[in-house]
Amino acid sequence: MGLFILRRLGVMILTALCLTFIVFTLTNLEPNLEKLAKNQANARMTDDQVISWLDNRGYNDPMLIKYGRWLGVLPHFTREEDGEVVYSRCATPGTTIEEAGSFCGVLQGNWGWSTVFQNEVLEILGVRGWQTAKLMFFVMLVMVPGALIVGVLAGMKEGSKLDRSLSTFSIGTTATPEYVSGVIFISLLASPMIGPNWFVGSAQTAMDNITFENFTLPVLTIALYGMGYIARMTRASMTEVMTAQYIRTARLKGVSFQQIVLKHALRNALIAPFTVIMLQLPWLLNGVVIVETLFNFKGFGWTLVQAAGNNDIELLLGVSIISVVVVLVTQLISDIGYVFLNPRIRIA
Amino acid sequence: MEPLTWTGNMGDVLDPILGITAIALLLTSVLAIVMSFATTTERVTVNPDGTIAAQPGLRGLTAKAQVYSLYAFLATVVAYIVTGMVVGWQGGGIVGGAMQAFTPVWISLVVLFVASFYYKRKLGLYGKLFDSTIGMIGFGLVMFWVFTAFYAGIFDMIYMHDPLTQVSGMKNKVPGTPMPDVDAAPYPFYLLGGDNLARDVFSRMVLGSTIVMQIAPLATLFAFMVGITLGLPAGYYGGKLDTVLSFMANLILAFPVILLFYLLVTPEIVLTGLPNYMALILFIFPLIFVGVLINSRYRTQPKTRNLYLGIAMAVGGLIYLSLVMDQGAPKPIFRLWPGGLDLFDIPGQVLIVFVSVVFVNSPTVFRIVRGLTLDIKTRDYVAAAQTRGETPWYIMLWEILPNARGPLIVDFCLRIGYTTILLGTLGFFGLGLPPESPDWGTTINDGRRLLSVFPHPAIVPAVALLSLVLGLNLLADGLREESLRD
Amino acid sequence: MTKHDVKNMQGVHHGALMYAQEYKDGLMDRREFLSRATALGVTTATAYALIGSEPAKAAAHAQQGGTLRYQMEVRAPKDPRTFDWTQLATVTAGWLEYLVEYNSDGSFNPMLLESWEANDDASVYTLKVRPGVTWNNGDPFTAEHVAFNFTRWADGTAEGNSMAARVASLVDPETNQAAEGAIEVVDDLTVRLNLLNPDITIIPGISDYPAAVIHPDQDPNNTIGQQLGTGPYLCTQHEVGVRATLERNTDHDWWGYAAGKGAYLDRIEFIDYGTDPSAFVAAYAADEIDLNWESVGEYVELFDGLGLVRSEIPSGFTIVIRPNQLATDADGKVIFEDKRVRQAIAMAVDNEVCLELGMAGYGIPADNCHVGPMHPEHAPEVTRIPYDPERAFELLQEAGMADYEFELISIDDDWRRNTTDAVAAQLRDAGFNIKRTILPGSTFWNDWTKYAFSSTNWNHRPLGVQVLGLAYRTGVAWNEFGWSNPEFDALLNEANAIADADARREVMAKIQAIVIEEGVTIQPYWRSAIRHHKPGFVGLERHVADLPQLYKMGIAAS
Repeated sequence: MGLFILRRLGVMILTALCLTFIVFTLTNLEPNLEKLAKNQANARMTDDQVISWLDNRGYNDPMLIKYGRWLGVLPHFTREEDGEVVYSRCATPGTTIEEAGSFCGVLQGNWGWSTVFQNEVLEILGVRGWQTAKLMFFVMLVMVPGALIVGVLAGMKEGSKLDRSLSTFSIGTTATPEYVSGVIFISLLASPMIGPNWFVGSAQTAMDNITFENFTLPVLTIALYGMGYIARMTRASMTEVMTAQYIRTARLKGVSFQQIVLKHALRNALIAPFTVIMLQLPWLLNGVVIVETLFNFKGFGWTLVQAAGNNDIELLLGVSIISVVVVLVTQLISDIGYVFLNPRIRIA
Repeated sequence: MEPLTWTGNMGDVLDPILGITAIALLLTSVLAIVMSFATTTERVTVNPDGTIAAQPGLRGLTAKAQVYSLYAFLATVVAYIVTGMVVGWQGGGIVGGAMQAFTPVWISLVVLFVASFYYKRKLGLYGKLFDSTIGMIGFGLVMFWVFTAFYAGIFDMIYMHDPLTQVSGMKNKVPGTPMPDVDAAPYPFYLLGGDNLARDVFSRMVLGSTIVMQIAPLATLFAFMVGITLGLPAGYYGGKLDTVLSFMANLILAFPVILLFYLLVTPEIVLTGLPNYMALILFIFPLIFVGVLINSRYRTQPKTRNLYLGIAMAVGGLIYLSLVMDQGAPKPIFRLWPGGLDLFDIPGQVLIVFVSVVFVNSPTVFRIVRGLTLDIKTRDYVAAAQTRGETPWYIMLWEILPNARGPLIVDFCLRIGYTTILLGTLGFFGLGLPPESPDWGTTINDGRRLLSVFPHPAIVPAVALLSLVLGLNLLADGLREESLRD
Repeated sequence: MTKHDVKNMQGVHHGALMYAQEYKDGLMDRREFLSRATALGVTTATAYALIGSEPAKAAAHAQQGGTLRYQMEVRAPKDPRTFDWTQLATVTAGWLEYLVEYNSDGSFNPMLLESWEANDDASVYTLKVRPGVTWNNGDPFTAEHVAFNFTRWADGTAEGNSMAARVASLVDPETNQAAEGAIEVVDDLTVRLNLLNPDITIIPGISDYPAAVIHPDQDPNNTIGQQLGTGPYLCTQHEVGVRATLERNTDHDWWGYAAGKGAYLDRIEFIDYGTDPSAFVAAYAADEIDLNWESVGEYVELFDGLGLVRSEIPSGFTIVIRPNQLATDADGKVIFEDKRVRQAIAMAVDNEVCLELGMAGYGIPADNCHVGPMHPEHAPEVTRIPYDPERAFELLQEAGMADYEFELISIDDDWRRNTTDAVAAQLRDAGFNIKRTILPGSTFWNDWTKYAFSSTNWNHRPLGVQVLGLAYRTGVAWNEFGWSNPEFDALLNEANAIADADARREVMAKIQAIVIEEGVTIQPYWRSAIRHHKPGFVGLERHVADLPQLYKMGIAAS
């Protein structure tokens, strides 16, 4: 087991390195740098000014060198004028050039400086990530029990009316992307113009103070889309279990249907959905980005959009590290969990 | 002219009937579900002659009631369609006008369903689809949009206004508003109203289907070609090849899709020529796939092989080069191919969307194909082929692949739906397709801004997208169920 | 205040007296008179007195204290002289003030200056610094500080410094720095500007939003971290894209308290809801904001329907949809070289339709010359080439461009995009072959001056000659039209000096006619600047140029 985790960790680091390098390359392509310069200095800058701006900040150096600097294996960029250091990448606003060390990459714990938000990348990710964590917590709270109940009820008796209705419901939710359901929810339930005004169509205040009114719609929008898929997996797994030998034996012994479902079937039926739920986590990120944009909730997904839209290189890299780590960790957990839950599988 | 009502004169008769049947359907459905809880077992009696008779009981009754009210409801819907086709907007209001506009689609659907139903026993998996209600509904929905896209895209039928023409005075008008200048207009109404820029919502929705139907299935097909061409050898050979390919696939899968799109689908990236390079690599896989397919099949008959291979490579190569080469590309390497032989150019923004969608979908397909191959290669018939001395590629393409077709077809349907949603997501973030494009994602995004005052410009394409994706999901579900019965 | 005796009038600039006469003769409207007279150093009160009128009084009184929640984009702070968004200045205006303020009625009021005077040909300006102003670190505000800021603004070599163009008459073209002797500190409270050429736009220039006055010790790139200013507020929280909060600086004795300026509110919260107006609707509905930055198009009625107070002012905010005359296509062809093509474009577009589809009708149609009735020097008799799509297509055919595919680019937002779409549709109707491209806001500005055919929004500027000088003169940085016309340049120089009304209007008429005749741009309409706020506030009216005047805002006294 230990070796297995160790090997997975190795792959994880390699994956993270490859991915960040890809992001790094894409964000450092020349037209993107020009965009960055114009965002930073002045939107209405001339070409010569752009080149000098980029030169003065080391953006025009070779790609691998820049990546090494960001990673912290190469000394950072400094600009010297008349033998004196006048610019240093490590000297974030607030620290002087003398104070700055010569290495300041991710390995040194310095994730860089966000050019859009004018703040430490790590701090932004912390604050915004916490907001999204809250959102995800509530989404999970609604989605997982909802999906399991729907799936188990549907899978209890394959082909029954209940199964048919619930299955159609799950298919319906998977066919309704967030940008459709969110839009419909807002217009029907939170518009001052039409319909009942039960909820708030903006989750701005939910960042400080979560209430039923301001958080229901965003949570529901994400949860609904993810729910269908988990429910169908649960149903599939449940129907499989219900046809298994030992259930049949139990039924023949005269154990009541309720007892069979709750005592015998449920535990085994939930192994497969568990892995799906874990793998669902990173996949929910898509929904988070849409919903945070739609409901004005400033979390991780919103940060991603801002960073990507403005080519905020270091923030974007930070965002991709976090998302890659989330993806890989959930994969790892789902693998380990599968092993623990299923006594038939052992990994050397 | 007077604005149209929703159902006009025909509604006077049909609307109450629709209401009654709908309520009846709802009630009986709820009842049927409740009953399935209440009574768990059917009463079965054994007759003296040895036959078994199940008494229908209360549960059977509710089930029957449900079926009948479903039929009644469907009949009413059909009545709307037929009446609408005959009377048009003059007698049928907005619904009548729309039904009449869709006339060619209805006729094609009826022909297709009747023919398929009649010959369903001879049509394999496709025919079996007509045994499943869910599958049939799904298939109907999908084919509705396929026909719509086909007639609108090729014959300029169904839609009545130009999707880009803006008519002064029609901005954000409600459904059924007459045109300000009726005589000059190609059609006297905006059936489903005007959007924020005074364009016809109905025509845009119809033409949107053409765009979605071009990109989504084609991109999915390409993703499958890439996934199959790489997944088969990865699963079959295993070893280093598998390790490397799987690592790359996991790499792409670890990327949050939205981040990838934000990085790829920007005007800056188009400037660098990256989409053209990616197209250069990704689009060669179908060519390789077809080549290997023919080669492995006719390896023993060099003459036939050369003929087929030659034709396939010539046609495929021309299409490939036309696709990849672009006379307006930013990098000179993509303008090498002479313009006369360059059959079509895909605009940079569309190409990048296409390439990105293929890129995102291929690793998943790869994983599925690899898994299936790992499973199937242990079967006896594969061993038999190996002892026969068939080449590995023959085994992969002509033994393993056909036996993996069931799950692959199901996934293909689901994946088209997923791709449609993905295209919409791109439109939602203003990435991708040209801004005036009537495709559904872009129109939903445009319309959502004024949603709380003028819902129709966003709701119409949203419902269209919903019905197509729902149709694809139901179709996949039906196919899965039927293929499992094999 | 209305009773100014003749003795008082003797100190008044002769140009102002001339303008007053012109106003009385009906040659000039009040707005024009106020702009022109106050720009020469006449106080607003005197200016009103000259024409026998008095300024409008504030309608309601504000109570002291309270909080305002203001929907506004919170952007990343940067050096004030490089500001490219008024939103940036709106936050810093809490503590960084201006020498002069420009008001919606067209007048210029001294703020950190007490007064200023121009000589007869507007080539020497004497600025008097307001006595008794202190920085919030205790330093007194002196003429040295004013000179320091002018030197900073005149530095044409600084990346992104747009103030250099506004004080161009101080800049030595050789060194791209302030010319030797141009900025002269006479005594502690007096600065003299010796301009290289007559310039009536310098006072309007330093009233613009990037002209925030900073302390010499200030690190201009760290305005949030080191808040050294003269104003009544301090920024206590600043999170880009999320929110910023201004709170009263209780340790600082703001000069304005004594001068009766106000600064009623204790706290102003700027909350960022992005750029999508539907989010503002949700925010109002959820009672999260009291005031929004801007209401456009359909949202105006929507906000009205929510029971909000509409504040509307006709302004010089506009959009140009222009060909770039230097742009070449992939084959090296100069696309818009032929005047007939440019004229055809202008003739094929009905400006009223653009106003209807782009702005939902909130504004007035314009005449494709970027000078309008809100500018003092506008010559109303010069109008556009008449709308005539058939003739437009004939012109296009004559020029041999009937089959050419034009690409029309715009930014991705609400009104700019819709207006450009409306232009595209009309051009298509006329027979043009048009391809539309929409770029996201983050990308659009990369090449905005170089696109072959695109739309750009322009802010209100007090004088018509200011925009013409910033964007239409040969070779200036913001000349997105690729246009160069020596006759126009010469006329513009003439218009920048002072002349009497008839002569001036004659010059402007010629200028407008050249811009229209050359088909330089489609400039379809002047949009009304509109915003909304909840009832119960004062001083929240929309400013004609969106300049920050936070000290005027307050909660209405009950």
